[in-house]
Amino acid sequence: MIEALRKKAEELLRSNTVDVIYGYGEGSTPERTRPVFITKPEDVNKLIWNKYCVYNLTTYLKRQESRKLGKPAIVVKGCDAKTIVVLIKESQIKREDVYILGVTCNGVGEPLATKCKACDVNTPRIYDDLIGEKIENKEIPFDERYAELDEYEKLSEKEKWDFWQKQFAKCIKCYACSSICPLCFCDRCIVDKNQPQWIDPSAHPRGNLSWNVTRAYHLAGRCINCEECQRVCPADIPLNLLNKKLAKETEKNFNYRSGYNIDDELAMATYKEDDNQDFIK
Amino acid sequence: MGKKIGVFVCHCGTNISATVDVEKVAEETKKNNPGVSYTTTYKYMCSDPGQKLLRDKIKEEGLTGVVIAACSPKMHEHTFRNAAIKSGLNPYHVEISNIREQCSWVHPDKPVGTEKSTDLVRMMTEKVRKDKSLKPIKVHVTKRALIIGGGIAGIQAALDIADGGHEVIMVEREASIGGHMAQLSETFPTLDCSQCIMTPKMVEAAQHDNITMHTWSEIESITGYLGNFDVKIRKKARSVDLDLCTGCSSCWQVCPCKKIKSEFDMGLANRTAIYIPFPQAIPSKPVIDRENCILFKDARKKNIKPNDSKVCRKCIDACPIAPVKAIDYNQEDEIIDVKVGAIIVATGFRELEDGLYGEYGGGKYEDVITGMQFERLASASGPTDGKIKRPSDGKEPEIVVFIQCVGSRDPSKGCSYCSKTCCMYTAKHTMLYKHKVHHGHAFVFYIDIRCAGKGYEEFSQRAIEEEGATYLRGRVSRVYKKGDKLIVLGADTLTGSVVEIEADMVVLASAMKAQDDAEQFAQKLSIQYDKDKFFSEMHPKLKPVESSSAGIFLAGTCQGPKDIPETVAQAGAAASKVLALLSSDELEREPVVARVDRQLPPVFSTCIGCFYCQKVCPYSAIESEDIKARDGSVIKTVARVNEGLCQGCGLCAATCRSKSIELDGFNDEQIYAEINAVEFN
Repeated sequence: MIEALRKKAEELLRSNTVDVIYGYGEGSTPERTRPVFITKPEDVNKLIWNKYCVYNLTTYLKRQESRKLGKPAIVVKGCDAKTIVVLIKESQIKREDVYILGVTCNGVGEPLATKCKACDVNTPRIYDDLIGEKIENKEIPFDERYAELDEYEKLSEKEKWDFWQKQFAKCIKCYACSSICPLCFCDRCIVDKNQPQWIDPSAHPRGNLSWNVTRAYHLAGRCINCEECQRVCPADIPLNLLNKKLAKETEKNFNYRSGYNIDDELAMATYKEDDNQDFIK
Repeated sequence: MGKKIGVFVCHCGTNISATVDVEKVAEETKKNNPGVSYTTTYKYMCSDPGQKLLRDKIKEEGLTGVVIAACSPKMHEHTFRNAAIKSGLNPYHVEISNIREQCSWVHPDKPVGTEKSTDLVRMMTEKVRKDKSLKPIKVHVTKRALIIGGGIAGIQAALDIADGGHEVIMVEREASIGGHMAQLSETFPTLDCSQCIMTPKMVEAAQHDNITMHTWSEIESITGYLGNFDVKIRKKARSVDLDLCTGCSSCWQVCPCKKIKSEFDMGLANRTAIYIPFPQAIPSKPVIDRENCILFKDARKKNIKPNDSKVCRKCIDACPIAPVKAIDYNQEDEIIDVKVGAIIVATGFRELEDGLYGEYGGGKYEDVITGMQFERLASASGPTDGKIKRPSDGKEPEIVVFIQCVGSRDPSKGCSYCSKTCCMYTAKHTMLYKHKVHHGHAFVFYIDIRCAGKGYEEFSQRAIEEEGATYLRGRVSRVYKKGDKLIVLGADTLTGSVVEIEADMVVLASAMKAQDDAEQFAQKLSIQYDKDKFFSEMHPKLKPVESSSAGIFLAGTCQGPKDIPETVAQAGAAASKVLALLSSDELEREPVVARVDRQLPPVFSTCIGCFYCQKVCPYSAIESEDIKARDGSVIKTVARVNEGLCQGCGLCAATCRSKSIELDGFNDEQIYAEINAVEFN
């Protein structure tokens, strides 16, 4: 599979189809990988693919530094590919401006990442080239896909509140969650706006609450659950729990799964007459 | 420099002062809000002396910001802002703190009401500090009006505007103008022939120099804004060239498809596939009904161009126009673009569907007919030449039962409203019937008789007293067939007895409903509609012909059930609004519009161009703009607000994640100041 990936990458660079390949490369230890940006065909051997390729490279699609390298081909797993769909829907990239090297995947992480436990995109739903043997995507029932919320949803409202108060108290406002998030692509984040200062910059309970809640809201109906925010959080705040909960509500109420179908209208920007309005009280 | 703020607390008679201690509100405000240099209370701020007080104090005290604590800004914001202009203050430094609708009226406890009022006033004083001067936006006006619908409402409005000297574009989706009124027999309360009064108006409209008529046409889309609407009109393929055709009738006389139910005659007569809807139609030129014409059916089946079908070419062969025939089977829909400054929507109603009342045999028994069908039976130009003959066997009915409120006032059938015209037209029907069948007997079942209007009560009394119609107060439970009779089972609640009538014919006074596509149409125009899908007026009392969108007006039954006099009056009112609008070259509008932030290079704008704002904007006011370098290359694509289209609803500002959109008059700093004023107290 790695060979196929390298061969394809070399071909793309030699034919000038793309200017750069965003891929995974070896890290400092065997169970680490790091992003590589290959611009020369002779460097394609730096590309690797293994179960440690956990993170979502699409975050580099928003970075000026990588954009400067020219038109990219990007290695994506099925989950990461959903980001590209959202980026296209939100006018951040054009479909023709990115070459998608989809890899089939049986799960990543050691132990297996949470996001892989109920995966129904082993084969990406969008790609230009598929690397690896095609895996038939399973249909996974709604409840199973959101199983990680079961424990959380059993909590009472007060318990939930206390839980988040405790979690957010740990936040050090490093903004790693938004830096890594491929869908936090605003040049100026709401936290950077200081006239007026909507979100308190200091890491005290009120500022922490408004930051974390706003971050989650801004991803409602958009987050594709790559779990990168949670992975990079130095304070171990279970951020994905919030994201997943909002994704579940969006799917339940509006029958919308972010990044799943490129033809679906964005749930948060579309009004339909039959939209569920039961929750408006 | 800080602002000098004046706060004026209104008693509103006792509306506010009964539950709010207005003196205390003024006192507290002065005490606790640095920058508030003047406070006072007044019995009626909106009165002339009240406004004078405001004008004088702005000057005397040198106020640079004003808060009026009174009623909803919907009521008097305009009043007070205008007063401020007269004293030389930019009106956008005047804010209303509403201490009436959601405060004094809802809090009977005076201390609570007083405290809340003080908070509300403080919020507004904080906002006023951040207020900036705004200048009205000027928009150009295209001096042309669009009328949608060619019934009596549309025709009347078109004539009024055209007579006022402005161009009118009229769009009617049927093949002829005339609408429902052209179908009626006689009209209440004077019993003059409907067509006799309608057709001259139709002709006048058709021949008016200022009116351009598009029949068999529909509105494809409307974009733009007050004074500058861009309209796309779909001229549906008529298959007949209106310029060439002389309306000689040769074609429809030879058409072999003769068994198509005539819509104009409410299915009581047949028409051909190439047809004019009725003899007085305007334009008096035919259209081919492509659904039913055998040539088009054949072409669809074989998937060929209609002109290549050889199944039947009788009409084109009969057409005497040479060398090019007036009939063109291959004609296609055409889209035309027009620019207009104002729009009147006069799309009318439809009658309640037949089959909805199974218990009355509607749609099941031929001799159970609707009010509109009775109109056609009674009409001199109708299928029976005005003789009352029942549809099943053509016999003259000797007993006719009229059932009122069929659909109307029946929430279980989805119309809770009164259709307003049925009491009168049923009384008229009984008269017309009695005038034509002297020995016949008319029974009317009614819930109430609602005949309010000039000469209306007298008219309905005449039906009862002079024409001998028997009015029974009660509902009909069932109509069923027995032999060639219809048995009507009902109750007479005044005598408390059950009534059974052997009738020859039953007439249902069916409800007026909104057009089937009213909802989609309203969305196309971005105008609001009510629960029954009738279009909503801006204000039920004070703005009865304005729709919720500026520059779009309403006339006739598309806004709610009404009779002809009322429709004509409303059409005239709408026309006068349009004339006022078209009388100036430029319009001023409120500068409360959204703005996408712009910054110096290299940022240019904090907008990231996700265009969520564009998707949520109900007024299509968000455009995309390419910020370009000198060499023409695109640096950034960002959102931009079209000031003319923006209605200042603020949805875009709320949706924007990077907070790159501000709403003038309600910008982030102003809102933030208000929130802070309650939070940190």
